[in-house]
Amino acid sequence: MTSRRDLLKAMAVGAVTLTLWPRSAWSAGAGGTSSAQPLLLVVMLRGGLDGLHALPPVGDNAWGALRGSVPFAPGDNALKPLPLDRNFALHPAMPYAAQLYQQKSFMPLVAVAPPYQGRSHFEAQDCVENGSQSPSGAQDGWMNRCVANMRGEEGLAIANAMPLIMRGNAKVSTWSPPLPTTIDPNLLQRLDTLYAEDTQLAEAYSRAVAESHDDAVMDADAMTMAAAAPANAAGNGQKAVQGRAYGNGALPDLMGAAGKFMSRADGPQIAFVEDTGWDTHAGEVATLQRKLGQLDAGLKNYHEAMGTAWDRTVVVVVTEFGRTAQVNGTGGTDHGTGGVAFLAGGAVAGGRVAGQWPGISRQDLNEGRDVHATTDMRAVFKGVLAGHLLVPSSVLDTRVFPGSGGVRAMDGLLRTSRVVAAA
Amino acid sequence: MSSNRTADATSAANRFGLGAMPGTLDNLHDPRGMLAQQIREPSSNKAAFAGLTSSADYLVAEIDYQLDRRARKQDLEAANAASAGGAADADAVKAAVDGFRKVFGAQLIAEATARWQVALNVPIGFDERIVRFWSNHFAVSVDKRPALLYAAPMEREVIRPLAFGRFQDLLVGVETHPAMLRYLDNETSIGPDSRFGERAAQRLGGDGAQPKRKLGLNENLAREILELHTLGVNGGYTQADVTELARAITGWSVHAPRDDRAGGGLFAGTAPNATTGFIYRENAHEPGSRTILGKRYADGGMDQGRSVLNDLAMHPATAKHLSFKLARHFVADQPPQKLVDRMAVAYLENNGDLRTLYLTMLQSDEAWAPEARKFRTPDDFLVAALRALGAAQLPDVRKVAGLLARLGQPTFTPRSPAGFADTADAWIGPDALWKRIQTAEELASRAERSLVPAQVARDALGTRLDASTAQAIARAESPQQALSLLLASPDFQWRI
Repeated sequence: MTSRRDLLKAMAVGAVTLTLWPRSAWSAGAGGTSSAQPLLLVVMLRGGLDGLHALPPVGDNAWGALRGSVPFAPGDNALKPLPLDRNFALHPAMPYAAQLYQQKSFMPLVAVAPPYQGRSHFEAQDCVENGSQSPSGAQDGWMNRCVANMRGEEGLAIANAMPLIMRGNAKVSTWSPPLPTTIDPNLLQRLDTLYAEDTQLAEAYSRAVAESHDDAVMDADAMTMAAAAPANAAGNGQKAVQGRAYGNGALPDLMGAAGKFMSRADGPQIAFVEDTGWDTHAGEVATLQRKLGQLDAGLKNYHEAMGTAWDRTVVVVVTEFGRTAQVNGTGGTDHGTGGVAFLAGGAVAGGRVAGQWPGISRQDLNEGRDVHATTDMRAVFKGVLAGHLLVPSSVLDTRVFPGSGGVRAMDGLLRTSRVVAAA
Repeated sequence: MSSNRTADATSAANRFGLGAMPGTLDNLHDPRGMLAQQIREPSSNKAAFAGLTSSADYLVAEIDYQLDRRARKQDLEAANAASAGGAADADAVKAAVDGFRKVFGAQLIAEATARWQVALNVPIGFDERIVRFWSNHFAVSVDKRPALLYAAPMEREVIRPLAFGRFQDLLVGVETHPAMLRYLDNETSIGPDSRFGERAAQRLGGDGAQPKRKLGLNENLAREILELHTLGVNGGYTQADVTELARAITGWSVHAPRDDRAGGGLFAGTAPNATTGFIYRENAHEPGSRTILGKRYADGGMDQGRSVLNDLAMHPATAKHLSFKLARHFVADQPPQKLVDRMAVAYLENNGDLRTLYLTMLQSDEAWAPEARKFRTPDDFLVAALRALGAAQLPDVRKVAGLLARLGQPTFTPRSPAGFADTADAWIGPDALWKRIQTAEELASRAERSLVPAQVARDALGTRLDASTAQAIARAESPQQALSLLLASPDFQWRI
């Protein structure tokens, strides 16, 4: 855990920094700042989303030959992507995102990749999550280190098990749709003393007990939702309630749950949602039609759950790598390099496609097979953390993304960017 | 029994085994000898799995199902074209698709039931945990629909019989099983210069038009063989090695519908393996020699890939990788380096013999040190809890499967080919712990009313039952609460 002294050292860059630091000691004490708190949700699509299919570069002369004949729904050549600008269009399964784009709160970023580019899922995911130069460069996650540097804050991972990106010493918790049973408070009382003696489990236990009250609130929300829902919700008691509130636990439900947590006054400022199943070596057209539709529904659910808090929110959607430019022998694509990322939220300066497009004609391809990465993913994260959460650049360079001094935070991502000056 | 031996007995049953059952610890007079015995003569559990369908037969049944589904779809479309209203179409087609569960659901349940039956009844279960270790090492996720029917059979057909032999054989067995070939897409990987690849290229692109779907190489399986199954990610291979290995194993495939058409044409291969349905398709195999990790492999059809796997199995990086994972699984999240090194040496000196590898671990003092301990994964927890309660049968395997999914470890559904995490930090979280306590209470409420909680606790945790846990159990307000306390206690979450 970062000590107070470390924190002060990290912030020893002048009073300007300190006053801009969200929830600094006195502003938190004064109360009422939570309504102005910037919020961050990171969504990770595990498996490697094919950026060329999600965000077809229709303006690139090489696109037609490479991908022009690939439909966007199985056997349906009439379905066209949704045009964004002269060069890029969006997969037709993402109409909500396209609408956000028109409202200038959605921004695709092209040719993004973590610094590791060895095409292994797990190495690449580790690198995205640990925020270092390499897959083994850190044992904890950058979101956790970010939380560690924000006093009084804590992170939330919507997951059954703690993902690497949130692992570390700072206060973080996981949440997933609850089991339908309630625990006898008397049993908990008796367990209290037992867990207090187990140094490795004590912390998780006491937080579990504390958060069970949050669950109760969530359940109450779920009841209200179920009660408000028309017809066919009847019968089945609690099970139906849960089913309605959390669906089948797929991405749209999880993003909706994230929105409910984050929109609460005492909710987490930083949260993480993950999804699997984006690895499309075969049958890509059908898979991505379904998965991108889920992402689109997730954005919608999240937006709706956030209400006005959406205005001070940035959602970052990333994947560990892009895929091969050529379609492979099994109706899919193999592991590549540069991929697509998306920013969404009221705080995003959207309505444009960001990043530098490296081109996909034969001579432009990376190793003759995939899209070059022109943006280090850490530059995107740093841009958001610096301009939105106001994390000082010295903290970003050395702590959250250690050794990333040479990677400049990307600017122009946010509506009102207030970059914190370094010493 | 000396206190050392009773401590050993608890470790044998709980850290190496699936969890002590009533009576296990009292009768375990030679714990280390008992584990060695389970390696020398692992229980085959043949009876438990007898009567389940072979992968070869599943493939045939699945082909029939798909052909039938296609025919039904065509009929529907024809009927639809004839009538004006198209509204029923989507539902009818969906019904045809959902029929998969109707056709195979009972078999999936039978597979899961048999596996649970073994887990709840085998004594100690060190051999069973070895099997499960390899199932997670060679992880297959049934998230991938084409692999759905084959994950459980892979464990029965390949891992159980080969997990106590030489790693080479286990490796080849797994990489030629339909579960792996389908999960990692090798089934349809075609050598671009193979006869089949060339013919397909001519047919599709011969007139100068863009081929609609290019047939070719898929390197997914090759990459994971190097990264996860053998050398490990820092094992010193390159992208070129991945591609060369992918070429070497082109043609490793499984029984497909067109094998049943007259002759199968160019696509045809060997007769399907009677158990697994594996087919080697010479005409899809990339011709020529391959160079992998600096060694040249002459073209020898199926044997080319097999030779590469044999060499990979005996590579020092593989020895280290396997030894580390095994020691981490049974001893500690950060296993002592000396132990890992000793295991790796024994493995290499004994030609990849897995029994020697296991025995070397068991005969090392580090494996029995007081600081050796592991956190139970959700699957471990559930199995151990049911064993502690003396449950020989599951009331409803579907409920248990659903519970495991909620606890974060759905059977045969890891989030990646790397398998489920094997260290505590991945499983200790407030929400995860909360669900465990919920589960403990639920299991206790369904336990036999005749159980005596203090006895159950002694039987389950032996010398590792903490005084304060024992006291809490003794002071509980009801037997059910006492059992809840036991299963939800920190003591029960650790394998010590």
